[in-house]
Amino acid sequence: MKFAEFDYRAPSTPAEVVQLLAQRPGEAKIIAGGQSLLPTMAYRLAQPAMLVDLKGVQGLDGITPDGAVLRLGARTRWRDIEASALLATAHPLLQEAVRHVAHYQVRNRGTVGGSLAHGDPASELPCIAVTCEGELRVLGARGERRIAASEFFLGPLTTDLRDDEMILELVLPAWPRDRRWAFQEFARRAGDFALAGVAVYYDRDDGGRAGNVHIGVVGACQRPHRLAAAEAALSGRVPDAACIEEAAEAAAAEVDPPGDLQAPAAYRRALVATLLRRALREAADRSDTLSGS
Amino acid sequence: MDIQGEELLPFAPPQVWQALNDPGVLKDAIPGCEALERLEDDYRVTLMAAVGPVKARFNGKLALHNVEPLRGYTLQFEGTGGIAGFGKGMADVSIEAAEGGTRLCYGATAQVGGRLAQVGSRLVDGVARRMAAEFFSRLRQGMELQQAGGCEAKATGAAQP
Repeated sequence: MKFAEFDYRAPSTPAEVVQLLAQRPGEAKIIAGGQSLLPTMAYRLAQPAMLVDLKGVQGLDGITPDGAVLRLGARTRWRDIEASALLATAHPLLQEAVRHVAHYQVRNRGTVGGSLAHGDPASELPCIAVTCEGELRVLGARGERRIAASEFFLGPLTTDLRDDEMILELVLPAWPRDRRWAFQEFARRAGDFALAGVAVYYDRDDGGRAGNVHIGVVGACQRPHRLAAAEAALSGRVPDAACIEEAAEAAAAEVDPPGDLQAPAAYRRALVATLLRRALREAADRSDTLSGS
Repeated sequence: MDIQGEELLPFAPPQVWQALNDPGVLKDAIPGCEALERLEDDYRVTLMAAVGPVKARFNGKLALHNVEPLRGYTLQFEGTGGIAGFGKGMADVSIEAAEGGTRLCYGATAQVGGRLAQVGSRLVDGVARRMAAEFFSRLRQGMELQQAGGCEAKATGAAQP
């Protein structure tokens, strides 16, 4: 179907973007990659009165290490993350997660800011942002503010972003080189929305015990969140088979997945346990390879 | 889709029952509700469901069945949202006195059809749960406001000669 009619603007600064958004509160939508918004408009489930295109806005691109943090501009595309040589060491978990985003065509257009603003519970980047304790920098008519990713996603397609605000960048804490990590997700067909997925990382002490454990869930949730009980099951222990099993069981018990036509809640719950087992084994194996080299 | 839940409201059962039967309070509590009019046995309702970029205006009917004063009722609803599709369902609502106020239990089933279901079936469950939670937090706020307003009116009344 064709889109409903809308006004189109392509400003050149973030300040102009938020000014336009403030002129049409709730009626204007930002367009960047358009990979979620345009299908919704084509179905006429969304009929924004105005689209504000970010294509001419300067300063929203780039993957920039900056001391203790890594900055991802809002208009950074999945393709840029996948192809980044820097990220192979600066944030391998992010890079691996982004490889699971939809199909090549979507990854060629879809953006960091668009995915965060859309807030789909099955999207990989919101999960990484929450799991890694990221922070969003947003600009609104009343100025700039920073929001912890853990407080940004409120529910399916619902975020803390106000009608007159735009996302400028996602800031992730810098990634130590010898960190153990894994990302696992499952969809019935490659490129489909994840039925469930997990992101995992931890740092090991001299005795091989896992510390600073972070485990996040995607798909099997109303919004991405960390799995505190699974993290606790792993924390301070050598991640052996028994420990991994405990963490997987804890994860299955604490998720609250939705059921729908694709999969009932119980299946997603079991899937979270399976994926976490795989992820923790993968992370442990990765550590052996690294320490052996 | 099934949604179950319970909520402890810091009010006595008669107050909660009154609120659950007050179109004004209900209108303010239903997320996105634009109009709620009482017809003979049921209500005509218009609501704007807005989730992310998706916006759909639903026109429909709300009817109350099995009404047992101070105990509960069954709420039946159905509505159409034009191009977005339709929604229908029912909710059993019951209240009982509990420590600290009134315990309100609800169990709802709902179906969504048409384009909304075709595109968004993945999200419908989560959105519905969120709307239910929002309904009760708004109901509580509405009742608190009403009570504060009531006290004020009384205070003003008392101050008058």
